[in-house]
Amino acid sequence: MRKYRLIGLLIISSCTFVHAQQHDPDLLYIKSRMDSIQSFSVDLTLDVDIDFINMPTKKVKMKYTKNKPIRFSSEDFVMLPKRGLDFTLNSLLSYSYITVPRGEEIRNGKKYKAINIVPTDPNSDFSIALLLLDISNMRIAESEISTRKDGTYKLLMNYAKPTEVLPTKVEVAFEVQRIRIPFNFMGKDTEINRKKMRESGYKTGKIYLTMSNYIIDHIQ
Amino acid sequence: MKALIQIEFFKLFKQSRTYLALASLFCIELIILGSAYFQGKNILDMLLENLQKNFYFEGNLLNGNLLVYLILNTQWFHLPLILMIVVSGTLTTEYKDRTIQTTMLQPVKKGQFILAKYIVAICFTLVSVLFLALTSFSLSYAFFGRGDLIVYLDTLNFFPASEAFQRLLFAFLSGTLSMIFFSVASLTIGVICKDAAKTWIVSAFFLILSHLLLKIDFGNTLINTLFFAKLSDTWQYFFQQHIAWEIVKLNSFLTTGYILLFMVGGILLFTKKDIG
Repeated sequence: MRKYRLIGLLIISSCTFVHAQQHDPDLLYIKSRMDSIQSFSVDLTLDVDIDFINMPTKKVKMKYTKNKPIRFSSEDFVMLPKRGLDFTLNSLLSYSYITVPRGEEIRNGKKYKAINIVPTDPNSDFSIALLLLDISNMRIAESEISTRKDGTYKLLMNYAKPTEVLPTKVEVAFEVQRIRIPFNFMGKDTEINRKKMRESGYKTGKIYLTMSNYIIDHIQ
Repeated sequence: MKALIQIEFFKLFKQSRTYLALASLFCIELIILGSAYFQGKNILDMLLENLQKNFYFEGNLLNGNLLVYLILNTQWFHLPLILMIVVSGTLTTEYKDRTIQTTMLQPVKKGQFILAKYIVAICFTLVSVLFLALTSFSLSYAFFGRGDLIVYLDTLNFFPASEAFQRLLFAFLSGTLSMIFFSVASLTIGVICKDAAKTWIVSAFFLILSHLLLKIDFGNTLINTLFFAKLSDTWQYFFQQHIAWEIVKLNSFLTTGYILLFMVGGILLFTKKDIG
C-alpha cells in the first residue's frame, strides 16, 4: 500500500514539475496583463524601410477588440505588416505551447529574461519564438518569431512609461523578397539590373510603427 | 500670316480625319479602361505578390491615378502615330489634290505657307494632348475614383493622391513636347516625301525607330544624353521618387532644340524645293 502511495506521490509531483516547465510564470503574468485589455484604438504612423520601396509616411487608425480581427481605417493606401501589430500576444499564445528558459540577455545595458516558446500544436503558424521579458516592468521588450511559412521576423518594442503595457514604438524587421518581374505594363522602359537581381534574393525590410492616442478599454 | 494660319485651321478642322483621330484616341482610352477594369486587380496582385506575404494592403490601388498613368504609358506610342498621320496629311493631301499649286499661284510666300502648317500642327498637337488629358482624367476618376499611385521604376514608388495628380500633370506637359517633336518631324518628312503613303510609312518607321533606339545603350554618355530618341521618355522622370529636375530641364531644352531644327530644316527644304 505504501509502495502505491509513493508511486502516486511521484506521479503528482512530476506532473507539477512538468507544468512549471511548460509555462513561464513571468510570461503568464504578462499575458494576464494583456488579457485584461478588452479593446483599444490607436493612431499608427508607419515608416517603411525596404530598399526597393519608396513609400511616404502613412497614418492609419487601428482598432483592436479581443478575439476579433484588427480593423484599420485610413484615407489613403497603406501597407501594414502582417506581423508585429498583435501587441497582446494573442496569436503567439493562442495554441498550446511550452516555454524553455534561455537565461538572460543584455540590451542597451539592461538585463532581460530570455525564453523560447515552442508550440506543441501543429496548427500553430510559428515553429519557435524567442521572447525577451522586461521583468521589472512586466512586459515584452523584444521578440524573434520563426514562422512556418513566412520566414523570421523580429520585433523591438519601446514604451513611453514604465507602467505602460502597450508599446509606443515598434520596429518590425522581416525578410522580404525583391520584386523580380520586368513589369512593362506598370513602367515603360524599366531597366532590369540583372546583376543586382541575382545578388538580391531576400532582403531585410523594416517597418517603424509609432503609436499615439491610445484609448484602452480594460476588462472590469 | 494670320490669314494663312486661319486657313490652315479651317482646313484641319474641316477634314473628317481630324475627328477620326480624336475618336480613335478616345476608343483606345476606353479599351485601356475596360482592360484595367477586368484585369487590373490580377496585374496588381502579380506585382505585389512578394509583398503580400509580409503586408496587408488597405486601400485601393486600382484607382484613377493609376489608370491615367497606364493611359499615358500606352498613348505615348499611339498618340504620336495618329498625330503624324493627321499632321503630315495636311501637306501631303495638298500635293495629291494639287491645291498647293493653286495656293502658290496666290501672293503667298512659300516660307510663310509652310510655317503656318507647322504652327497649326503644333496647335493641333496641344489640342490632342489636352483632349487626352481631359478625357483620361475625367473617365478614370469617374469610374475608378482617386487614390495613391503606385509605379514600378526599378523601385516601387508610392505617391499620395494629391501628389500623383500633380506628377501626372507634369508628365502630360513634358510629354507634350515629345508629341510636338513627332508632329513637326512628320511634317518635315511630308516635305521630303510629298506622297501620302510614303510619308506615313517613313513617319511610322521614324517613330518605331525612335522607340527602339530609346532602349539601346550606346555606351557613350554624350549620345545617350543628346540623341533625340533618348529624350522621348522624359515624362517618366516625374514618377521617380525624387524628380531629377536638371535632367528634365536639359531634355526639354534639347527637345525644343530638335523641334526648331526639324522646323527650320523643313521650311528651308520646302522653300528650296519645287512644288510640282
